[in-house]
Amino acid sequence: MQLTPDEMIVFTIAGYGVNATIVFTWAVMAILTGASVIVTWNLRPDVPPNRWRTVLEAIVLTIQGQIDEISAQPDRRLLYFSGTLFLFIITSNMLAIVPGWQPPTASLSITAGLALSVLVAVPLFGIGSRGLGGYLHSYMEPSIIMLPFNIIGEVSRGISLAIRLYGNVMSGAVIAAILLGVAPFFFPVVMDMLGLLTGVIQAYIFAILATVYISSATAAPDAPNEQEQT
Amino acid sequence: MSIDWITVAAQIANFLVLVWLLKRFLYRPILDGIDAREQQIKQRMEEAGRIRAQAEEAEARHEAEIARLKAGREGVLAEVRDEAEAERDALLSGARERLEAEQAAREAARADEACRFAADLELRGASALVALLRKALNDLSGEALEQRIVARAAGRLPAMAVDLAEAAGDSPEAIVTTQDALPEDLQTQLAQQIREALPDITVRFQTDADQSPGLILRVGGAQLGWTVASYTDGLQSMLEDAHKARGVPDAA
Repeated sequence: MQLTPDEMIVFTIAGYGVNATIVFTWAVMAILTGASVIVTWNLRPDVPPNRWRTVLEAIVLTIQGQIDEISAQPDRRLLYFSGTLFLFIITSNMLAIVPGWQPPTASLSITAGLALSVLVAVPLFGIGSRGLGGYLHSYMEPSIIMLPFNIIGEVSRGISLAIRLYGNVMSGAVIAAILLGVAPFFFPVVMDMLGLLTGVIQAYIFAILATVYISSATAAPDAPNEQEQT
Repeated sequence: MSIDWITVAAQIANFLVLVWLLKRFLYRPILDGIDAREQQIKQRMEEAGRIRAQAEEAEARHEAEIARLKAGREGVLAEVRDEAEAERDALLSGARERLEAEQAAREAARADEACRFAADLELRGASALVALLRKALNDLSGEALEQRIVARAAGRLPAMAVDLAEAAGDSPEAIVTTQDALPEDLQTQLAQQIREALPDITVRFQTDADQSPGLILRVGGAQLGWTVASYTDGLQSMLEDAHKARGVPDAA
Protein backbone atom coordinates (compact mmCIF):
# COMPACT_ATOMS: atom_id res chain seq x y z
CA MET A 1 0.00 0.00 0.00
CA GLN A 2 1.40 3.37 -1.04
CA LEU A 3 0.99 6.13 1.51
CA THR A 4 2.04 8.79 -0.94
CA PRO A 5 1.96 9.09 -4.74
CA ASP A 6 5.59 10.16 -4.65
CA GLU A 7 6.56 6.53 -4.74
CA MET A 8 4.78 5.89 -8.05
CA ILE A 9 6.96 6.78 -11.04
CA VAL A 10 4.83 7.48 -14.08
CA PHE A 11 7.52 8.15 -16.66
CA THR A 12 11.15 9.12 -16.87
CA ILE A 13 12.71 12.25 -18.37
CA ALA A 14 16.50 12.32 -18.82
CA GLY A 15 16.95 9.66 -16.24
CA TYR A 16 14.74 11.39 -13.71
CA GLY A 17 11.57 9.64 -12.81
CA VAL A 18 8.47 11.82 -12.85
CA ASN A 19 6.26 10.59 -10.05
CA ALA A 20 2.49 10.54 -9.87
CA THR A 21 2.45 13.58 -7.58
CA ILE A 22 3.94 15.76 -10.27
CA VAL A 23 1.68 14.27 -12.91
CA PHE A 24 -1.48 14.81 -10.86
CA THR A 25 -0.30 18.31 -10.03
CA TRP A 26 0.02 19.02 -13.72
CA ALA A 27 -3.42 17.57 -14.22
CA VAL A 28 -4.88 19.89 -11.62
CA MET A 29 -3.06 22.79 -13.24
CA ALA A 30 -4.37 21.80 -16.64
CA ILE A 31 -7.94 21.47 -15.37
CA LEU A 32 -7.89 24.84 -13.62
CA THR A 33 -6.18 26.63 -16.48
CA GLY A 34 -8.25 24.94 -19.15
CA ALA A 35 -11.52 25.72 -17.40
CA SER A 36 -10.44 29.31 -16.91
CA VAL A 37 -9.39 29.71 -20.55
CA ILE A 38 -12.61 28.17 -21.84
CA VAL A 39 -14.86 30.25 -19.62
CA THR A 40 -13.02 33.55 -20.07
CA TRP A 41 -12.21 33.04 -23.76
CA ASN A 42 -14.88 35.33 -25.14
CA LEU A 43 -15.29 37.57 -22.13
CA ARG A 44 -16.40 41.04 -23.15
CA PRO A 45 -18.31 43.66 -21.17
CA ASP A 46 -21.04 43.84 -23.79
CA VAL A 47 -21.64 40.07 -23.72
CA PRO A 48 -23.99 38.92 -20.97
CA PRO A 49 -22.27 36.46 -18.59
CA ASN A 50 -23.20 32.81 -19.03
CA ARG A 51 -23.67 30.41 -16.14
CA TRP A 52 -20.04 29.19 -16.13
CA ARG A 53 -18.71 32.70 -16.09
CA THR A 54 -21.15 33.50 -13.31
CA VAL A 55 -19.85 30.50 -11.35
CA LEU A 56 -16.25 31.63 -11.77
CA GLU A 57 -17.20 35.19 -10.83
CA ALA A 58 -18.94 33.90 -7.71
CA ILE A 59 -15.88 31.83 -6.76
CA VAL A 60 -13.44 34.67 -7.34
CA LEU A 61 -15.62 37.22 -5.56
CA THR A 62 -16.12 34.86 -2.62
CA ILE A 63 -12.37 34.41 -2.27
CA GLN A 64 -11.88 38.15 -2.61
CA GLY A 65 -14.54 38.74 0.04
CA GLN A 66 -12.86 36.36 2.47
CA ILE A 67 -9.52 38.05 1.93
CA ASP A 68 -11.05 41.50 2.37
CA GLU A 69 -12.56 40.40 5.67
CA ILE A 70 -9.17 39.25 6.93
CA SER A 71 -6.76 41.75 5.44
CA ALA A 72 -6.75 45.36 6.46
CA GLN A 73 -5.04 46.24 3.18
CA PRO A 74 -6.80 44.47 0.32
CA ASP A 75 -4.21 43.54 -2.30
CA ARG A 76 -5.00 41.87 -5.57
CA ARG A 77 -1.66 39.97 -5.40
CA LEU A 78 -2.91 38.37 -2.21
CA LEU A 79 -5.94 37.18 -4.16
CA TYR A 80 -3.69 35.65 -6.79
CA PHE A 81 -1.64 33.82 -4.18
CA SER A 82 -4.23 32.71 -1.65
CA GLY A 83 -6.87 32.09 -4.30
CA THR A 84 -4.55 29.86 -6.22
CA LEU A 85 -3.69 27.97 -3.06
CA PHE A 86 -7.36 27.41 -2.32
CA LEU A 87 -8.30 26.42 -5.87
CA PHE A 88 -5.36 24.06 -6.23
CA ILE A 89 -5.95 22.32 -2.91
CA ILE A 90 -9.71 22.04 -3.21
CA THR A 91 -9.48 20.76 -6.79
CA SER A 92 -6.92 18.18 -5.76
CA ASN A 93 -9.04 17.06 -2.86
CA MET A 94 -12.37 17.05 -4.73
CA LEU A 95 -10.94 14.89 -7.50
CA ALA A 96 -10.30 12.21 -4.88
CA ILE A 97 -13.70 10.78 -5.73
CA VAL A 98 -12.45 10.00 -9.24
CA PRO A 99 -11.32 6.37 -9.35
CA GLY A 100 -7.56 6.10 -9.63
CA TRP A 101 -6.99 9.70 -8.62
CA GLN A 102 -4.20 10.24 -6.16
CA PRO A 103 -4.58 13.67 -4.54
CA PRO A 104 -1.28 15.53 -4.79
CA THR A 105 -2.05 17.03 -1.42
CA ALA A 106 -1.68 13.55 0.04
CA SER A 107 2.02 13.96 -0.63
CA LEU A 108 4.08 15.60 2.08
CA SER A 109 6.37 16.92 -0.63
CA ILE A 110 3.47 18.86 -2.18
CA THR A 111 2.18 20.23 1.12
CA ALA A 112 5.74 21.10 2.10
CA GLY A 113 6.18 22.88 -1.21
CA LEU A 114 2.97 24.83 -0.63
CA ALA A 115 4.03 25.62 2.95
CA LEU A 116 7.43 26.76 1.73
CA SER A 117 5.67 28.97 -0.80
CA VAL A 118 3.70 30.54 2.05
CA LEU A 119 6.84 30.91 4.17
CA VAL A 120 8.54 32.71 1.29
CA ALA A 121 5.49 34.77 0.41
CA VAL A 122 5.05 36.09 3.96
CA PRO A 123 8.35 37.99 4.08
CA LEU A 124 8.00 39.05 0.46
CA PHE A 125 4.56 40.58 1.09
CA GLY A 126 5.77 41.99 4.41
CA ILE A 127 8.86 43.62 2.91
CA GLY A 128 6.81 44.88 -0.01
CA SER A 129 4.32 46.46 2.35
CA ARG A 130 6.41 47.68 5.27
CA GLY A 131 9.93 47.73 3.87
CA LEU A 132 12.82 45.47 4.86
CA GLY A 133 13.54 47.28 8.10
CA GLY A 134 9.96 47.38 9.18
CA TYR A 135 9.44 43.74 8.44
CA LEU A 136 12.60 42.59 10.24
CA HIS A 137 11.73 44.81 13.17
CA SER A 138 8.48 42.90 13.54
CA TYR A 139 10.53 39.88 14.65
CA MET A 140 11.81 41.88 17.60
CA GLU A 141 8.44 42.81 18.89
CA PRO A 142 7.47 43.31 21.60
CA SER A 143 11.18 43.05 22.61
CA ILE A 144 14.37 41.72 21.14
CA ILE A 145 14.15 38.79 23.49
CA MET A 146 11.27 37.51 21.37
CA LEU A 147 13.43 37.32 18.21
CA PRO A 148 14.29 33.61 18.41
CA PHE A 149 10.77 32.72 19.43
CA ASN A 150 9.29 34.67 16.57
CA ILE A 151 11.65 32.93 14.13
CA ILE A 152 10.75 29.54 15.58
CA GLY A 153 7.08 30.47 15.42
CA GLU A 154 7.43 31.46 11.80
CA VAL A 155 9.04 28.16 10.88
CA SER A 156 6.62 26.12 12.96
CA ARG A 157 3.72 27.80 11.23
CA GLY A 158 5.00 26.53 7.90
CA ILE A 159 5.57 23.07 9.27
CA SER A 160 2.12 22.97 10.82
CA LEU A 161 0.57 24.06 7.54
CA ALA A 162 2.29 21.28 5.66
CA ILE A 163 1.70 18.55 8.20
CA ARG A 164 -1.97 19.50 8.80
CA LEU A 165 -2.90 19.35 5.16
CA TYR A 166 -0.86 16.29 4.44
CA GLY A 167 -2.08 14.41 7.47
CA ASN A 168 -5.75 15.10 6.84
CA VAL A 169 -5.72 14.27 3.17
CA MET A 170 -3.38 11.33 3.39
CA SER A 171 -5.23 9.81 6.31
CA GLY A 172 -8.53 10.14 4.53
CA ALA A 173 -7.14 8.46 1.43
CA VAL A 174 -5.50 5.71 3.46
CA ILE A 175 -8.60 5.06 5.52
CA ALA A 176 -10.70 4.93 2.36
CA ALA A 177 -8.24 2.47 0.85
CA ILE A 178 -8.26 0.28 3.95
CA LEU A 179 -12.06 0.29 4.14
CA LEU A 180 -12.20 -0.53 0.47
CA GLY A 181 -10.46 -3.79 1.28
CA VAL A 182 -12.62 -4.53 4.31
CA ALA A 183 -16.08 -3.47 3.14
CA PRO A 184 -15.93 -2.53 -0.51
CA PHE A 185 -19.59 -1.56 -1.03
CA PHE A 186 -20.67 0.88 1.67
CA PHE A 187 -17.97 2.35 3.85
CA PRO A 188 -15.73 3.67 1.02
CA VAL A 189 -18.65 5.80 -0.20
CA VAL A 190 -19.17 7.25 3.25
CA MET A 191 -15.47 7.84 3.67
CA ASP A 192 -15.22 9.47 0.24
CA MET A 193 -18.04 11.84 1.24
CA LEU A 194 -16.20 12.53 4.46
CA GLY A 195 -13.02 13.00 2.46
CA LEU A 196 -14.74 15.58 0.27
CA LEU A 197 -15.86 17.51 3.32
CA THR A 198 -12.43 17.26 4.86
CA GLY A 199 -10.79 18.30 1.62
CA VAL A 200 -12.94 21.44 1.34
CA ILE A 201 -12.32 22.32 4.97
CA GLN A 202 -8.60 21.78 4.68
CA ALA A 203 -8.36 23.85 1.52
CA TYR A 204 -10.24 26.63 3.26
CA ILE A 205 -8.06 26.39 6.38
CA PHE A 206 -4.81 26.35 4.43
CA ALA A 207 -5.77 29.35 2.30
CA ILE A 208 -7.19 31.29 5.23
CA LEU A 209 -4.09 30.68 7.37
CA ALA A 210 -1.83 31.72 4.53
CA THR A 211 -3.87 34.88 4.13
CA VAL A 212 -3.71 35.55 7.86
CA TYR A 213 0.05 35.11 7.94
CA ILE A 214 0.58 37.37 4.98
CA SER A 215 -1.88 39.94 6.30
CA SER A 216 -0.11 39.94 9.65
CA ALA A 217 3.17 40.57 7.91
CA THR A 218 1.77 43.39 5.82
CA ALA A 219 -0.32 44.99 8.58
CA ALA A 220 0.83 48.23 10.15
CA PRO A 221 2.55 47.79 13.56
CA ASP A 222 -0.36 49.33 15.47
CA ALA A 223 -2.95 47.38 13.52
CA PRO A 224 -4.58 44.47 15.33
CA ASN A 225 -3.07 41.13 14.30
CA GLU A 226 -5.30 38.29 13.26
CA GLN A 227 -5.13 35.27 15.50
CA GLU A 228 -4.03 32.02 14.03
CA GLN A 229 -6.83 29.57 13.54
CA THR A 230 -6.34 25.85 13.73
CA MET B 1 6.54 9.48 5.09
CA SER B 2 9.44 11.33 3.54
CA ILE B 3 9.94 14.51 1.64
CA ASP B 4 11.21 14.38 -1.91
CA TRP B 5 12.90 17.73 -2.21
CA ILE B 6 12.94 17.54 -5.97
CA THR B 7 9.20 17.14 -5.88
CA VAL B 8 9.05 20.02 -3.42
CA ALA B 9 11.03 22.23 -5.80
CA ALA B 10 8.91 21.08 -8.70
CA GLN B 11 5.76 21.79 -6.72
CA ILE B 12 7.00 25.28 -5.87
CA ALA B 13 7.71 25.89 -9.53
CA ASN B 14 4.39 24.39 -10.53
CA PHE B 15 2.58 26.50 -7.99
CA LEU B 16 4.22 29.67 -9.21
CA VAL B 17 3.33 28.73 -12.77
CA LEU B 18 -0.24 28.03 -11.68
CA VAL B 19 -0.40 31.39 -9.95
CA TRP B 20 0.70 33.07 -13.15
CA LEU B 21 -1.68 31.02 -15.28
CA LEU B 22 -4.68 31.69 -13.08
CA LYS B 23 -3.74 35.33 -12.83
CA ARG B 24 -3.53 35.47 -16.59
CA PHE B 25 -6.60 33.39 -17.47
CA LEU B 26 -8.86 33.59 -14.43
CA TYR B 27 -8.45 36.43 -12.00
CA ARG B 28 -7.62 39.25 -14.37
CA PRO B 29 -10.29 38.47 -16.98
CA ILE B 30 -12.91 37.89 -14.32
CA LEU B 31 -12.02 40.92 -12.22
CA ASP B 32 -11.49 43.12 -15.25
CA GLY B 33 -14.82 41.92 -16.60
CA ILE B 34 -16.50 42.70 -13.30
CA ASP B 35 -14.82 46.09 -13.17
CA ALA B 36 -15.84 46.78 -16.76
CA ARG B 37 -19.39 45.69 -16.06
CA GLU B 38 -19.53 47.79 -12.92
CA GLN B 39 -18.15 50.71 -14.89
CA GLN B 40 -20.71 50.04 -17.60
CA ILE B 41 -23.48 49.81 -15.02
CA LYS B 42 -22.23 53.02 -13.46
CA GLN B 43 -22.20 54.72 -16.85
CA ARG B 44 -25.64 53.39 -17.64
CA MET B 45 -26.94 54.53 -14.27
CA GLU B 46 -25.40 57.94 -14.84
CA GLU B 47 -26.88 57.98 -18.32
CA ALA B 48 -30.20 56.78 -16.91
CA GLY B 49 -30.01 59.52 -14.31
CA ARG B 50 -29.21 62.06 -17.01
CA ILE B 51 -32.06 60.75 -19.17
CA ARG B 52 -34.33 60.78 -16.16
CA ALA B 53 -33.35 64.37 -15.45
CA GLN B 54 -33.98 65.23 -19.09
CA ALA B 55 -37.29 63.39 -18.96
CA GLU B 56 -38.29 65.18 -15.77
CA GLU B 57 -37.25 68.47 -17.32
CA ALA B 58 -39.23 67.65 -20.45
CA GLU B 59 -42.18 66.60 -18.31
CA ALA B 60 -42.01 69.85 -16.36
CA ARG B 61 -41.75 71.79 -19.61
CA HIS B 62 -44.63 69.81 -21.05
CA GLU B 63 -46.78 70.38 -17.98
CA ALA B 64 -45.94 74.08 -18.06
CA GLU B 65 -46.88 74.16 -21.73
CA ILE B 66 -50.14 72.36 -20.97
CA ALA B 67 -50.85 74.76 -18.11
CA ARG B 68 -50.04 77.70 -20.37
CA LEU B 69 -52.29 76.36 -23.11
CA LYS B 70 -55.02 75.62 -20.60
CA ALA B 71 -54.69 79.09 -19.12
CA GLY B 72 -54.68 80.58 -22.62
CA ARG B 73 -57.74 78.57 -23.57
CA GLU B 74 -59.51 79.63 -20.41
CA GLY B 75 -58.45 83.20 -21.07
CA VAL B 76 -59.78 83.02 -24.63
CA LEU B 77 -62.96 81.39 -23.38
CA ALA B 78 -63.35 84.07 -20.72
CA GLU B 79 -62.71 86.77 -23.30
CA VAL B 80 -65.20 85.24 -25.72
CA ARG B 81 -67.67 84.81 -22.87
CA ASP B 82 -67.25 88.45 -21.88
CA GLU B 83 -67.66 89.52 -25.48
CA ALA B 84 -70.75 87.34 -25.82
CA GLU B 85 -72.19 88.73 -22.61
CA ALA B 86 -71.45 92.27 -23.72
CA GLU B 87 -73.00 91.54 -27.11
CA ARG B 88 -76.00 89.97 -25.44
CA ASP B 89 -76.35 92.94 -23.09
CA ALA B 90 -76.05 95.30 -26.03
CA LEU B 91 -78.62 93.36 -28.01
CA LEU B 92 -80.95 93.17 -25.04
CA SER B 93 -80.45 96.85 -24.34
CA GLY B 94 -81.11 97.71 -27.98
CA ALA B 95 -84.14 95.46 -28.07
CA ARG B 96 -85.36 96.95 -24.81
CA GLU B 97 -84.84 100.45 -26.15
CA ARG B 98 -86.58 99.56 -29.40
CA LEU B 99 -89.38 97.94 -27.43
CA GLU B 100 -89.69 100.97 -25.18
CA ALA B 101 -89.63 103.26 -28.22
CA GLU B 102 -92.24 101.15 -29.91
CA GLN B 103 -94.30 101.10 -26.73
CA ALA B 104 -93.92 104.86 -26.41
CA ALA B 105 -94.85 105.26 -30.07
CA ARG B 106 -97.80 102.96 -29.60
CA GLU B 107 -98.80 104.87 -26.46
CA ALA B 108 -98.44 108.15 -28.31
CA ALA B 109 -100.36 106.78 -31.27
CA ARG B 110 -102.98 105.37 -28.94
CA ALA B 111 -103.20 108.69 -27.10
CA ASP B 112 -103.33 110.55 -30.38
CA GLU B 113 -105.91 108.14 -31.66
CA ALA B 114 -107.84 108.56 -28.44
CA CYS B 115 -107.63 112.32 -28.73
CA ARG B 116 -108.77 112.20 -32.34
CA PHE B 117 -111.45 109.75 -31.42
CA ALA B 118 -112.55 111.92 -28.52
CA ALA B 119 -112.54 115.06 -30.65
CA ASP B 120 -114.39 113.29 -33.39
CA LEU B 121 -116.76 111.81 -30.89
CA GLU B 122 -117.27 115.20 -29.30
CA LEU B 123 -117.85 116.73 -32.68
CA ARG B 124 -120.19 114.02 -33.79
CA GLY B 125 -121.92 114.02 -30.43
CA ALA B 126 -122.28 117.77 -30.48
CA SER B 127 -123.55 117.66 -34.04
CA ALA B 128 -125.99 114.93 -33.15
CA LEU B 129 -127.04 116.80 -30.04
CA VAL B 130 -127.55 119.98 -31.95
CA ALA B 131 -129.39 118.15 -34.73
CA LEU B 132 -131.62 116.50 -32.15
CA LEU B 133 -132.21 119.81 -30.46
CA ARG B 134 -133.07 121.43 -33.73
CA LYS B 135 -135.36 118.63 -34.71
CA ALA B 136 -137.01 118.39 -31.29
CA LEU B 137 -137.44 122.14 -31.10
CA ASN B 138 -138.80 122.32 -34.62
CA ASP B 139 -141.09 119.33 -34.10
CA LEU B 140 -142.38 120.44 -30.75
CA SER B 141 -142.59 124.21 -31.16
CA GLY B 142 -142.10 124.87 -34.84
CA GLU B 143 -139.12 127.15 -34.17
CA ALA B 144 -135.53 127.03 -35.28
CA LEU B 145 -132.71 126.73 -32.75
CA GLU B 146 -131.08 129.98 -33.83
CA GLN B 147 -134.42 131.66 -33.59
CA ARG B 148 -134.83 130.54 -29.99
CA ILE B 149 -131.26 131.45 -29.14
CA VAL B 150 -131.67 134.92 -30.59
CA ALA B 151 -134.95 135.25 -28.72
CA ARG B 152 -133.34 134.14 -25.52
CA ALA B 153 -130.39 136.48 -25.94
CA ALA B 154 -132.66 139.34 -26.83
CA GLY B 155 -134.73 138.63 -23.73
CA ARG B 156 -131.64 138.73 -21.49
CA LEU B 157 -130.05 141.84 -22.94
CA PRO B 158 -132.23 144.45 -21.19
CA ALA B 159 -131.35 143.03 -17.81
CA MET B 160 -127.66 143.19 -18.61
CA ALA B 161 -127.74 146.55 -20.37
CA VAL B 162 -125.98 148.46 -17.58
CA ASP B 163 -123.23 145.87 -17.26
CA LEU B 164 -122.77 145.75 -21.03
CA ALA B 165 -122.53 149.50 -21.30
CA GLU B 166 -119.80 149.55 -18.65
CA ALA B 167 -118.02 146.75 -20.39
CA ALA B 168 -118.31 148.42 -23.79
CA GLY B 169 -116.66 151.59 -22.62
CA ASP B 170 -115.50 153.46 -25.71
CA SER B 171 -115.87 150.47 -28.01
CA PRO B 172 -117.88 151.53 -31.09
CA GLU B 173 -119.26 148.16 -32.07
CA ALA B 174 -120.64 144.90 -30.84
CA ILE B 175 -119.68 141.74 -32.64
CA VAL B 176 -122.07 138.82 -32.92
CA THR B 177 -120.40 135.58 -33.95
CA THR B 178 -122.32 132.51 -35.07
CA GLN B 179 -121.38 129.21 -36.64
CA ASP B 180 -123.59 129.83 -39.65
CA ALA B 181 -124.88 133.10 -40.86
CA LEU B 182 -128.14 134.16 -39.13
CA PRO B 183 -131.17 134.81 -41.24
CA GLU B 184 -131.75 138.49 -42.04
CA ASP B 185 -134.81 138.80 -39.83
CA LEU B 186 -132.99 137.37 -36.86
CA GLN B 187 -130.02 139.63 -37.50
CA THR B 188 -132.35 142.63 -37.66
CA GLN B 189 -134.21 141.57 -34.51
CA LEU B 190 -130.98 140.97 -32.60
CA ALA B 191 -129.36 144.18 -33.80
CA GLN B 192 -132.42 146.12 -32.71
CA GLN B 193 -132.37 144.59 -29.27
CA ILE B 194 -128.62 145.32 -28.90
CA ARG B 195 -129.03 148.91 -29.96
CA GLU B 196 -131.87 149.29 -27.47
CA ALA B 197 -129.56 148.17 -24.74
CA LEU B 198 -126.54 149.99 -26.11
CA PRO B 199 -127.86 152.91 -28.18
CA ASP B 200 -124.55 154.30 -29.58
CA ILE B 201 -123.03 151.08 -30.76
CA THR B 202 -122.80 149.46 -34.12
CA VAL B 203 -123.67 145.74 -34.48
CA ARG B 204 -121.66 143.59 -36.78
CA PHE B 205 -122.36 139.90 -37.58
CA GLN B 206 -119.73 137.39 -38.48
CA THR B 207 -119.40 133.61 -38.72
CA ASP B 208 -116.90 131.16 -37.29
CA ALA B 209 -117.07 127.57 -38.54
CA ASP B 210 -115.16 126.34 -35.53
CA GLN B 211 -117.50 127.86 -33.08
CA SER B 212 -120.12 125.81 -31.31
CA PRO B 213 -123.71 126.32 -32.55
CA GLY B 214 -125.27 129.39 -30.92
CA LEU B 215 -124.04 132.95 -30.73
CA ILE B 216 -121.41 134.95 -28.90
CA LEU B 217 -121.69 138.65 -28.29
CA ARG B 218 -118.51 140.61 -27.72
CA VAL B 219 -118.72 144.15 -26.53
CA GLY B 220 -115.44 145.79 -25.57
CA GLY B 221 -113.88 143.52 -23.03
CA ALA B 222 -117.09 141.64 -22.30
CA GLN B 223 -118.31 138.49 -23.95
CA LEU B 224 -121.68 136.83 -23.64
CA GLY B 225 -122.36 133.42 -25.07
CA TRP B 226 -125.42 131.41 -25.82
CA THR B 227 -124.01 128.25 -27.32
CA VAL B 228 -124.36 124.52 -26.96
CA ALA B 229 -120.68 124.22 -26.06
CA SER B 230 -121.42 123.72 -22.37
CA TYR B 231 -123.90 121.02 -23.27
CA THR B 232 -121.50 119.23 -25.57
CA ASP B 233 -118.94 119.53 -22.79
CA GLY B 234 -121.50 117.87 -20.57
CA LEU B 235 -121.95 115.20 -23.22
CA GLN B 236 -118.18 114.71 -23.29
CA SER B 237 -118.14 114.36 -19.51
CA MET B 238 -120.94 111.84 -19.68
CA LEU B 239 -119.11 109.82 -22.32
CA GLU B 240 -115.88 109.88 -20.34
CA ASP B 241 -117.75 108.84 -17.20
CA ALA B 242 -119.39 106.03 -19.13
CA HIS B 243 -116.03 104.97 -20.57
CA LYS B 244 -114.43 105.00 -17.14
CA ALA B 245 -117.36 103.12 -15.66
CA ARG B 246 -116.95 100.50 -18.34
CA GLY B 247 -113.16 100.35 -17.90
CA VAL B 248 -113.16 99.83 -14.13
CA PRO B 249 -114.37 96.19 -14.24
CA ASP B 250 -111.84 95.48 -16.94
CA ALA B 251 -109.12 96.99 -14.84
CA ALA B 252 -110.27 95.02 -11.81
